[in-house]
Amino acid sequence: MPQIDTGDTAWVLMSAALVMLMTPGLALFYGGLVRRKNVLSTIMHSFFILGLVSVTWVLWGYTLAFGPDTGVGLIGGLDWLALEGVTGEPSDTYATTIPHLAFMAFQMMFAIITPALISGAFAERKRFKAFVLFAVAWSTFVYAPIAHWVWSPDGWLFGLGVLDFAGGTVVHLSSGIAALVAALYIGRRTGLVEPATEPHDVPMTVLGAGLLWFGWFGFNAGSAVGANGLAATAFVVTNTAAAMAAITWVTISWLHRGTPSVLGAAIGAVAGLVAITPAAGYVTPAASILIGLGVGVVCYGAAQLRLRARVDDALDVFAVHGVGGAFGAVATGVFATTAVNAAGFDGLLNGNAGQLVTQLTAVVVVGLYSAIVTGAILFLVNLVTPIRVAGDVEETGLDLAQHGEVAYQP
Amino acid sequence: MVIAAMIAFAILLVAWIFAPSESSPKVPKAETAPGTDAIPVTA
Repeated sequence: MPQIDTGDTAWVLMSAALVMLMTPGLALFYGGLVRRKNVLSTIMHSFFILGLVSVTWVLWGYTLAFGPDTGVGLIGGLDWLALEGVTGEPSDTYATTIPHLAFMAFQMMFAIITPALISGAFAERKRFKAFVLFAVAWSTFVYAPIAHWVWSPDGWLFGLGVLDFAGGTVVHLSSGIAALVAALYIGRRTGLVEPATEPHDVPMTVLGAGLLWFGWFGFNAGSAVGANGLAATAFVVTNTAAAMAAITWVTISWLHRGTPSVLGAAIGAVAGLVAITPAAGYVTPAASILIGLGVGVVCYGAAQLRLRARVDDALDVFAVHGVGGAFGAVATGVFATTAVNAAGFDGLLNGNAGQLVTQLTAVVVVGLYSAIVTGAILFLVNLVTPIRVAGDVEETGLDLAQHGEVAYQP
Repeated sequence: MVIAAMIAFAILLVAWIFAPSESSPKVPKAETAPGTDAIPVTA
């Protein structure tokens, strides 16, 4: 019978709280980037999902993602519907030194923030009702299966040996690809001023990025599911990659546009956090510097390409989370070392080229699955209620037209 | 109990489907406490 470790339990519960804070942080990060007339609707996307997915995760999300497998590694069964059988005792399968409920709660926070990330792609033009239906369907039919594939010991990608410490593919790649599909499906915002709509409140976005950075210590170091050396490693590489990506992004924008962008520092930090997420428990601090540098360059380039392609992924979810998540997953296949984590595998630089192939396989499979199912969900939701608001509503602003409230009095 | 919990969520889901999509576009009136320069509070 597994025994509960109080230190591990305290750390995982605290980490769950840290990850919870990331979703309001994301709300501020996105909220600052949109126009004044849409700030409440943008914040509401994240805040409502905090409630919505908390409930669906308890009811059926957790059992689909982490429940005993139905046979072929694709989805969990309904054994733990409404958390029946998930108790204060440790699980035999997951994090065996903490209460099963603590592990469930920690995972719940990941399930919450993932669909919230997508909301940045269709900001300023998506009907709230459609958003709610989309979020329920996406977290059920995209997030839960992918989490099962990668993180359940019975998942088929887990069986292939895919390394994803805290969600580079499960969280960031899946949501980033979904964001791209959503942006293409819903179309460009009307009245968009090129090259991009000015953020209405950069300090709000920087505050949001700071909260994300803070919460990310729970996201990555908490994924060690124990208060131990691996958690400390994940903590250090997380901070290092974020720092390196932030200063890299600022440097590039400084050279490219002539000024060291404050917004660039915030977005660059988030890109670094995304890229280190799958690698956090498998790489050294030195490798995290290279990962931060690489993702700063790659994501900045992706954001520029997105502008040229005229795809209105309003808040660059694909460029930061899709590209950053894929980059991090591949980088894990390059830099991973069993010297950091004996339960992992060596990567390319440690003589195991096969790990890189495995990581690339995960990127392709997760990306394709997310793209296809997200497209199907958008199509079906659009049959129930139009996804996009009417032109006059978009002109008025979603805060007033959708929510009957405004963020700032004239 | 599990079924009751599922039904509770299903009720909300149905409510969302049939809920109004847009409110009337009217700016809420700002109110301030009498005799103060307080930050406006939305009604």
